[in-house]
Amino acid sequence: MLTYVLKRVLQSALVLLVVGLVAFSMFQFVGDPIDNMLGQERTDADIARLRTELGLDQPFPVQYYKFLENAVQGDFGVSYRQGRPVAEILVERAPATLELAAVSGFLAISIGIGLGVLTAIRKDGFLANAIMSLSLIGVSLPTFLIGILLIYLFSVELGWLPAFGRGDVVHIGWWSTGLLTGSGLKAIILPAITLGLYQMTLIMRLVRSEMLEVLRQDYVRFARARGLKDRTVNFRHALKNTLVPVITVTGLQLGSIIAFAIITETVFQWPGVGLLFINAVQFVDIPVMAAYLMLISVMFVGINLIVDLLYFAIDPRLRTDGKGAH
Amino acid sequence: MSDQSSTAPQSRLAKALDSDFVYSFRRSPVAVVSFIVVMLLVLSAVFAPLIAPHDPFDPGSLDLMNGFTAPMAPNDFTGDVFWLGTDDQGRDVFSTILYGMRVSLFVGLAAVSFAMVLGITLGLVAGYVGGWVETLIMRAADVQLTFPSILVAMLIFGIAKGVIPIQHHDQMAIWVLIIAIGLSDWVQFARVVRGATLVEKDKEYVQAARMMGRGRGIIMLRHILPNVLSPVLVIATISLALAIIAEATLSFLGVGAPPTQPSLGTLIRIGQDFLFSGEWWIILFPSATLLALALSVNLLGDWLRDALNPRLQ
Amino acid sequence: MKHLVSAAVLAAVCAAPVAAEEFKWAGTTDPQTMDPHAVNSAPVLGFLNNVYEGLVRRGKDMSIEPALATSWEPIGEGEGWRFHLREGVTFHDGSTFDAEDVLFSYERASNEVSDTRSWFAPVSEVKIVDSKTVDIMTSAPNPIFPDSIANWMIVDKGWAEANNAALPDKENGNYATLNANGTGAFMVTEREPDLRTQLKPFDGWWGEATHNITVAEFTPIQNSATAVAALLSGEVDMINPVPIQDAQRLQGQDGVQVIQGIEARVIMLGFAQEADVLKYGADAGKPNPFQDARVREAVSKAVNVDAILKTIMRGNAEPASQLVSPAMRGYSAANMDRPTYDPEGAKALLAEAGYADGFAFGLKCPNNRYLNDEAVCQAVTAMLAKVGISAQLDAMPVSNYWPELRADNFDMYLLGWSPGTFDAEHPIRFLAHTPNSEKKLGSWNFGGYSNAKIDEMLPMIQSEIDDGKRQMMLDESAAILQAETAYVPMYVQPLVWGARDNVSLTQRPDNFFILRWVSLQ
Repeated sequence: MLTYVLKRVLQSALVLLVVGLVAFSMFQFVGDPIDNMLGQERTDADIARLRTELGLDQPFPVQYYKFLENAVQGDFGVSYRQGRPVAEILVERAPATLELAAVSGFLAISIGIGLGVLTAIRKDGFLANAIMSLSLIGVSLPTFLIGILLIYLFSVELGWLPAFGRGDVVHIGWWSTGLLTGSGLKAIILPAITLGLYQMTLIMRLVRSEMLEVLRQDYVRFARARGLKDRTVNFRHALKNTLVPVITVTGLQLGSIIAFAIITETVFQWPGVGLLFINAVQFVDIPVMAAYLMLISVMFVGINLIVDLLYFAIDPRLRTDGKGAH
Repeated sequence: MSDQSSTAPQSRLAKALDSDFVYSFRRSPVAVVSFIVVMLLVLSAVFAPLIAPHDPFDPGSLDLMNGFTAPMAPNDFTGDVFWLGTDDQGRDVFSTILYGMRVSLFVGLAAVSFAMVLGITLGLVAGYVGGWVETLIMRAADVQLTFPSILVAMLIFGIAKGVIPIQHHDQMAIWVLIIAIGLSDWVQFARVVRGATLVEKDKEYVQAARMMGRGRGIIMLRHILPNVLSPVLVIATISLALAIIAEATLSFLGVGAPPTQPSLGTLIRIGQDFLFSGEWWIILFPSATLLALALSVNLLGDWLRDALNPRLQ
Repeated sequence: MKHLVSAAVLAAVCAAPVAAEEFKWAGTTDPQTMDPHAVNSAPVLGFLNNVYEGLVRRGKDMSIEPALATSWEPIGEGEGWRFHLREGVTFHDGSTFDAEDVLFSYERASNEVSDTRSWFAPVSEVKIVDSKTVDIMTSAPNPIFPDSIANWMIVDKGWAEANNAALPDKENGNYATLNANGTGAFMVTEREPDLRTQLKPFDGWWGEATHNITVAEFTPIQNSATAVAALLSGEVDMINPVPIQDAQRLQGQDGVQVIQGIEARVIMLGFAQEADVLKYGADAGKPNPFQDARVREAVSKAVNVDAILKTIMRGNAEPASQLVSPAMRGYSAANMDRPTYDPEGAKALLAEAGYADGFAFGLKCPNNRYLNDEAVCQAVTAMLAKVGISAQLDAMPVSNYWPELRADNFDMYLLGWSPGTFDAEHPIRFLAHTPNSEKKLGSWNFGGYSNAKIDEMLPMIQSEIDDGKRQMMLDESAAILQAETAYVPMYVQPLVWGARDNVSLTQRPDNFFILRWVSLQ
């Protein structure tokens, strides 16, 4: 057991190193930050001086090594664009993304499970079929387009909900929350729907297929044969057994919600880490890009690691196996 | 989204294609309609040069003064009439959609094929060979999942810019898209194929083949692969829809098809600029086309999943 | 301090109208620093003009007017300028403004690490005469010096030194990156970079406030469609810019107004003129046709600027004939005609130059730098195709664009130029003079255009005190550049701002938004 865990943790660390290396080799292709940092009256000498100061004249393995050296000490450098420590910026921006992810995750799970159960119970009903088909519209349009259409409808035409931003936020320690103010709550609705729609469809379809599977199992049939009420059978027995794979998948999806918040945050000007990242890409703000990518990697690799270890704990037969089959 | 319910490949593709399959298709009006829509769209994309009244990819044929013509209304300056109007460059929206759909479908199909070949190969190898090879591949999958596809696209774009001679940069964008989308999709295939391979490789027929002294490659290709094809087919269909949408998203973020040879996604990105200014047709028609295409492919994939999953029949 | 559940929040919740004196505005870019000497870019300088002040400032019509200096006069025969400083001016933190601060700000702004250093290239020395008089000596007569320092903002010496911000630090940031202490009409009260910046009127300002703002808040919104939506829904009172295509529609909406003007920026096409061969397209490797002035002239005749202005620019821009717009000092009225659209003439010129069958080349273009830049390049590609030369368009984000231009990776390219000094000498120095990194001249002349006469005239223009003689030389330069088609100036970029109906404001051609000219009804 211990060797397995150790091996797995070591592998994860290696994955992180590779991610960092790939990320760093990429930065030299994203563009040149120098032009964004100097005005139009800069001279060639200014360009050369700034490049040396930022260490951009070094070969990229050297830059990478320096980044790693500092990163393990918790120092992610200073943003080229804002001139502030990256760690400080990330801490400031993280609550917005986490709140958005949590709310859209909650919406996706609650509505997804509800509709999934409904479509499974009324397997061939008209309503269930309609929901199944309609839900596909949500995954057949690009996220950015859904966001723009929602803004057009609810902000511009109807004027019900704000078009951008987080509304007013309340600071509790270092955490900032928009969930305690009216304008904050209103502001999160559209982005949360935009971001959660895809996951909702996913969960709904997963619940439906798992539920159909379970409903065919013998013990459910017995339960019915014993004369238990449909409601009891459906929820007490069937749904409960459906939830294990649903929770696993949702856990994995939470990571991708945060990663894919980039687009939603761009459309709604949501001040989270995704927007920070897109701004950083446009400005070629290398320290911010590097820190964001490492953060996302740590999250993904962490979630993967936890899932694998959980599987290992539950089912020791899966010596080297993890995801995919369950 | 399908790897959860279709990991156990209990049906063979051959079996799937027998009359049960066809019967189930004809019984499902949704499947029939989706199929017809997909075929219509694919055919009109393939035959775009014959159907389209204009060639939007030929810059010399465009008249800027035709820009922003509303559908079915004569242009203020030139008097020309266009079915679905024109965009900001004076391009006929109808023709541009047909040509744009070619680009989108080509990118989608090529990306999925690329992802499929890569994913199946790596999945088979990982599942069958095991050991450090498997570890390497599956950790590579983790790395892959970490990178949002926009980053992969930029990375490949940058490398390509360094490697490919500068004269060919404009044709490059499409291939960059294909590789970027393909790379972000292979993990799904690999995971499913690996899972299925793990199940299959200990079955008696594989062990028998091994006893007969068949090589690893033959066993993987001839014995295991056919058994994992039906989930792969389902994933491929849904991935196609995802790839077309991913292309649109990348174009929105500015790393997609070039505006002189637009895809549906590029058209939507361009049209988005005119949503408030009243030129609704520039965004509406390409969006509707994209929706029709992706939705019907998704519906087909959905039906295919149920049809190929014997447990649900 | 950050508990913002205030009256404003309650008002928003109850959907009641926001208090009239609270003003919210949005732009595409957040000023990346509050340090007036760290970054020489329009978003930073424009924003900080509300907070900091220079010795002189620009009025509503761009003319130079007194600010921290009440008057100035040349010293001797052009050895420098003497500035008389305003009495009774205090910084936001209460300390007094005097000559020490001017000298300190000169040293700070002209330091090697400051992005504003180039403004002080003509300066040889700054001398304190007394606490309210400063002499700025120049190495050669410099008639436009006061014009060129309108954005040189004065920082309090004591404050900067006490906070370890004696020099700007672009790489690591310092106290002045996040905090501001100017003499301007507004002071920064809250600053969350990239999210919001709050300003409040400075009670101790020396001038008379003409605005009625009590709190102003700036929010960056990159996506222009989102910004339009925010303006329409009343979440913000003003946005800059309004996408050109939305101007007309917005104008017709209730409660919203559109403010239009002409920016100082001229959009032009540039050519690789030094390169011996083409780099892109089917003819890559063949001799470079753009070395021939006739081919360049053919391009200028083939581009239908009127059509671009009517459709892509929606009638909001003015055609340009030279490197500066008519609003700039030194504009050459003698050369105000631009070549007419003449595809047949273009074909004839191409035939004359030996390109009757046309040729193929590469056109580089940014896609997020100027208004509708990519669409304009597409249209240019189509127009050139009509006279038989086929451009392969490569549009890219600006962070990739400048490195490409610096590496000479283009045959033709798109460039916008806004003269920082609002004077016609500026583009000659940066775009027309033969590139010379030692003398720091021609640093944006990517194509390597070179003309000995232009090079010879530039220093003469720079030091000529007589306006008439100076203008004659500027006219001659403009004529040479036009005759040789050094560039193809196309149009002056429009300025389009949007605001709620109850806002009255002034739009200045440098695209600076000056809060003290805002009033709310």
